[in-house]
Amino acid sequence: MKALIYCTVIVGLVPVQSVLLSHLSVWGVKPDLGFVAVCLIGLIAGELDGLLVGLALGWAMSLFSAQDLISSVILKGAVGYIAGLAGRQVVYLSPVVLVIGLLVVSCVIGLVTPLALTLSPQQDLWWAAWTVVLPQACLDAVIGGVIYWLMWSRLNIEQVMSESRI
Amino acid sequence: MRMVNLRVSYNARRIALGLAVILVLGFLLLPGQLQSVFQSIGSPLGWVISWPLQAVAGIHDRIADIWGRYVALQGVEEENQQLKRELDLLKEQNGQLREASAATERLSALLEFKRQALPTSVAAQVIGRDIGNWYKTIILNKGASDGIQSDQGVITPAGVVGRIVKTTASTAVVLLVTDPNNAIAGLIQRTRDEGIVEGTTQGQARLKYIPLLSNARPGDHVVTSGLVGGFPRGIPIGTIIRIDKEEEALFQSAELSPEVDPNRVEDVLVIRSFPLPTEGERLSVPKPKP
Repeated sequence: MKALIYCTVIVGLVPVQSVLLSHLSVWGVKPDLGFVAVCLIGLIAGELDGLLVGLALGWAMSLFSAQDLISSVILKGAVGYIAGLAGRQVVYLSPVVLVIGLLVVSCVIGLVTPLALTLSPQQDLWWAAWTVVLPQACLDAVIGGVIYWLMWSRLNIEQVMSESRI
Repeated sequence: MRMVNLRVSYNARRIALGLAVILVLGFLLLPGQLQSVFQSIGSPLGWVISWPLQAVAGIHDRIADIWGRYVALQGVEEENQQLKRELDLLKEQNGQLREASAATERLSALLEFKRQALPTSVAAQVIGRDIGNWYKTIILNKGASDGIQSDQGVITPAGVVGRIVKTTASTAVVLLVTDPNNAIAGLIQRTRDEGIVEGTTQGQARLKYIPLLSNARPGDHVVTSGLVGGFPRGIPIGTIIRIDKEEEALFQSAELSPEVDPNRVEDVLVIRSFPLPTEGERLSVPKPKP
């Protein structure tokens, strides 16, 4: 069941991200639903699930982007693993704390990405921080927060987390 | 709600974690080799994902079509009048271009450049945009199984769109001419000065390395030079809107307005191949016709 959910997430996120999200961009910046999904999977299901889904999702997404495979795979895998480790350390996670956590992690990953990609000299770190990283982090945090709030208000999230982990 | 969980033994999880770590280390130690391996075995995965991608793109197109036909009809009358005026102008230009085309055809045949002027191309539709925010790309519904490869040029009748950077079996990713990481060899049509066209972060393009003595000016058209990079000579790239000449600089540069609006492009042509003249062919004496 878990594997099916993960496969659906991987196969379904690419069309949503590439076709539909271009209409929902704010100042030309789209949220990274892959990042949000990997974070939530890592938090809820543990570091191994987060790592494996992150690696697979990074690979699938890199096939439909100019971003190189290595940075996409490693960054998404690392996000899933770190989210899993962070999830182990907390007993109770409120949506507000999750939003702040997503904002911070998205900013950190966003600042690492241009260094990993060796972009054009026009796209320096200052430009990246103001035009891509911060808007994207805000969008990621809001979307991740809404999804988590929906799960949190409808499910017993602590029970789901403890059942999903070993 | 109770989540169904397939419990995996502790050893299996350790093995999975170990394999993941080896994979990540492999990427760091052998980036080029592993990347090409994963790119090639990712082709079937790309094919699988391309089905929902094309389905979502199809639904999106239908909704956009209904919206365009029935909802967004404001200002159509005015646009219609303007288009009629443009049509009259284009008809006149078309007549002149037919004459020029006939002359060009005769000269091309004479110089044996006809092969170069007729590249083979594949028509493709745009089904998506880049997944991330770092690159400006579009996704096409044709891929490696249709003969599309990296570095091939992508055009519309209006001009250059970009070039292919990645393919799966049934899709291809095009890096747009407006992306700062793209570089295309360009030529100012009037002055014949060559340079490199790069995208800018503002969504425009810039022609770099124009000689200082060039008398290029705003309004000049820039076309592909045909020397490198998947495009035959003479395909429109953009129009110069500003010349930038810095003191003590070795070259000047020009800001371009691209001929193709990448945000509105829907159908494109991928130039599969065109015979690029070798250095020897370019420098040798033309063969006499039998």
